[in-house]
Amino acid sequence: ESMLSRIRAFEYSQKNAVLVPVAALGVGGVLLCWLRSGHKIKTIDMGDGWWGSGERPLKGKEDASIRPFKIETSDKEIEDLHQRLDRFRFTPHVEGAAFHYGFNSTYLRKVVAYWRNQFDWRKQVEVLNKYPHFHTTIEGIDIHFIHVKPSYVPHGRAVRPLLMVHGWPGSFYEFYKIIPLLTEPAKHGLNEGDVVFEVICPSIPGYGFSEAPHQREFDSIATARIFHKLMNRLGFKEYYIQGGDWGSRITTNMAQMLPQSVKGLHLNLVFIARQSLGKLIRTMLGAYVPWLVGFTREDARRFYPFMQKNVYDVLRESGYLHIQATKPDTAGCGLNDSPVGLAAYILEKFSTWTDKSFLHQDDGGLESKYSLDELLTNVMIYWVTSTIVSSMRYYKENFSKDPDLSAHNRIGVYVPTGIAAFPQEIVHIPRVWAKDVYKNIITYSYMPSGGHFAAFEEPKLLAQDIMQFVQKVEQL
Amino acid sequence: SSLAGIMLLEVLLVLGTLLIYFLFSKKKEETLPFKDGWWGRGQKPVTKEDSSIRPFKVETTEEELSDLFRRLDQARFTEPLENSCFHYGTNSVHLRKIVSYWKNQFNWKKQVEVLNKYPQFKTKIQGLDIHFVHVKPPRLPEGQAAKPLLMVHGWPGSFYEFYKIIPLLTDPASHGLGDEHIFEVICPSIPGYGFSEAPQKKDFNSVSAASVFYELMLRLGFNEFYTQGGDCGWLICTNLAQIAPNHVKGLHLNMVLFSKLGLTHLLSILLGSYFPGLFGFQDEDVRRMFPFLKKGLYRILSESGYAHIQATKPDTVGCGLNDSPVGLAAYILEKFSSWTDMEFRNLEDGGLERKFSLDDLLTNIMIYWVSGCIVSSMRFYKENLQKGIGTQKHEKLTVQVPTGIASFPNEILHTPQAWAKKKYTNIVSFHFMPRGGHFAAFEEPELLAKDILQFVDKVEKGQVWKKK
Repeated sequence: ESMLSRIRAFEYSQKNAVLVPVAALGVGGVLLCWLRSGHKIKTIDMGDGWWGSGERPLKGKEDASIRPFKIETSDKEIEDLHQRLDRFRFTPHVEGAAFHYGFNSTYLRKVVAYWRNQFDWRKQVEVLNKYPHFHTTIEGIDIHFIHVKPSYVPHGRAVRPLLMVHGWPGSFYEFYKIIPLLTEPAKHGLNEGDVVFEVICPSIPGYGFSEAPHQREFDSIATARIFHKLMNRLGFKEYYIQGGDWGSRITTNMAQMLPQSVKGLHLNLVFIARQSLGKLIRTMLGAYVPWLVGFTREDARRFYPFMQKNVYDVLRESGYLHIQATKPDTAGCGLNDSPVGLAAYILEKFSTWTDKSFLHQDDGGLESKYSLDELLTNVMIYWVTSTIVSSMRYYKENFSKDPDLSAHNRIGVYVPTGIAAFPQEIVHIPRVWAKDVYKNIITYSYMPSGGHFAAFEEPKLLAQDIMQFVQKVEQL
Repeated sequence: SSLAGIMLLEVLLVLGTLLIYFLFSKKKEETLPFKDGWWGRGQKPVTKEDSSIRPFKVETTEEELSDLFRRLDQARFTEPLENSCFHYGTNSVHLRKIVSYWKNQFNWKKQVEVLNKYPQFKTKIQGLDIHFVHVKPPRLPEGQAAKPLLMVHGWPGSFYEFYKIIPLLTDPASHGLGDEHIFEVICPSIPGYGFSEAPQKKDFNSVSAASVFYELMLRLGFNEFYTQGGDCGWLICTNLAQIAPNHVKGLHLNMVLFSKLGLTHLLSILLGSYFPGLFGFQDEDVRRMFPFLKKGLYRILSESGYAHIQATKPDTVGCGLNDSPVGLAAYILEKFSSWTDMEFRNLEDGGLERKFSLDDLLTNIMIYWVSGCIVSSMRFYKENLQKGIGTQKHEKLTVQVPTGIASFPNEILHTPQAWAKKKYTNIVSFHFMPRGGHFAAFEEPELLAKDILQFVDKVEKGQVWKKK
């Protein structure tokens, strides 16, 4: 009452003289802060790198040519492989082992017999060459990629560039079934709106036909930068990116590094590294009252029982990760010398990560979802390029550093994001957790079936999800 | 503030539970039951098992050698990263040198003769053919009996690790170690390792191995004996002392691992370097254990990848190693490097030949190669660890048998006496060895032999007092 009367006592003009500018400053200040915080998105520093052998050359610009490339094989290569398959030394498994001790050696013998007598590598090389391959040198190493354009674009449709990144122990080959669904959807009964894609699938340096880095510390951020440079070199300023496994982390880094170039980010696996007390409490509560912590019923079904699915299962399946993140050169040495050892190591993942119940089957359920030709073609890519060791080093380079210090865990992702959550993925991340990192989730879909190797196993489901995501982004 | 209240309540609940558990979880003193089994293929036959002890000699053939050389010749190597030394595992540049020696200078036939210099035998126990070395003393003073000593190897070692220490124990006088205590030494191969048959059934763990070795010692006619071990041998010998405390006169260990981290352990990790006396730590304990993050946690994480994958997917990881001798060598040699001295990871050659000869290292590897046992050797990890650490009955029981511990400075993890005595309630000797790492018998046979002798001396004198 007295304050009001005092304010009223202020002479009107004096009030105006003081209050109005102060108010203006105040409002203006708040507005400015709000504007700046809204538009100032933290990004990962792009940085630079050199991965060739020896010192970086001081003079001269890097050769930026894009050279067409065809995969080749030789009699010698096939002969050498056959000799090694013939002299494989087999160890009998314990009774009733199924896939509980790892790859079942009785079933492995059948796979080796097929590999030796029926698998036709020359024919598979032709299959691999059906899409155009290229090499280009970036930061001192040769980057391999395939680039598939639609052969026919109906009138009025836009062609969007889409970069798809594989993981371990996969390769660019995982995308061979999904590519035609994305470049020519109409032909395959998918009519998701106006979008048609041209697809670029590179090989991560150290995998397949991409040269391996010769220097230490080649991590997902370096990969993200190289892939941005690749897209830039191909003439793209804005593009969509998609990934699972390492591809998920690399594409996430790409979105954090140059958000202005990434129209949309689509993932079939979400990595969440940061734990917190709040998350722990929410996890415990979520088992009883999922709605309270933002879990849907499907989240609860996939996420619990917590210890079983997120601790025991993960511990049981992460031995490879532990040894590759600490002693990759040791772990990979024998696998680069024994093709059967390599096949057992890689195909074990295609069994367990496709469906956890496959552990109980004597044949690991492998041929219920994939053909031996497909599986062995992927293994052959690691074999003929001798890249198993360099592919494993990627784990050490990415996990060696203290996770809390890594940039991408602290920086959010603001580009439009679409997440396809497959039911048999190794770990399920509910939308409410993904939001901690991915601030702009446009779509989050519970896929009806499928596991870790989504593009390889369920190409149609994944393609449909990518398309409906891109549709939504285009309408924003 | 309500959230803080909830958090505080949770912390108090956790602490309270730990306290109650700590107060009431006194380790029990019962014996561990003997674990019988049948580990051969198929059904156990109705007829009684053949219990004869058959002499055995290691053999080789031209075919075996030429197959090995062909594989060595066609080995495919991957260039290491620049300046990586042994940080990424076994350095392939150095590995190439070792493979060249293996092809051109290593003489397997000669090494087989070295292996055969000690008498070896096989006998069937619980369905498995058990291989063992049995060395008796060349001479015994009047009126003295040889003391039986069972020595158990670990992974990735073998019975061969004991070849340098055996003469120091069976003939100590010739090596300046006195003749008060003379041993006859028995070194078996753990089932699934070397020349011992691999179990064909699931669940063959350390208690099974201890039971098999117990039967072996009884079959050899020993009613009382000493046991010694490190690595897997530590676990098996401990189990043996828990199964048959009346037969095991003394248990000597060169490695002890702690499987339970209770409240006292946690507190002593946090505060041990500031108040060592409070937690029973000696200066040397502090020197070896702290800073704990570096010497404890990070070391466990960086060195246990192999244990993690072997405890979950042994058939997968061993598959390629049984097919590529170079891969097998890389995998095994890495351990002989970092477990002998962690600093060796900074060396281009992994420091391998500083403490061992290439002949010795390759002979050990050849035992894994010619017997094709790498996969079954790895399964032992799964059978022991698959239910988790600290969950098994034998981990909850204590050991009352007189125990001697030789604590080597470069062992992977240091366990102070204050922690060891929670499990080993009758520690007769605990010594900080001046040098040496994980493969004690292989690397420092004389130091280990001396420690065993002084331990046995204490036990024997203690027994004499008891009898008096």
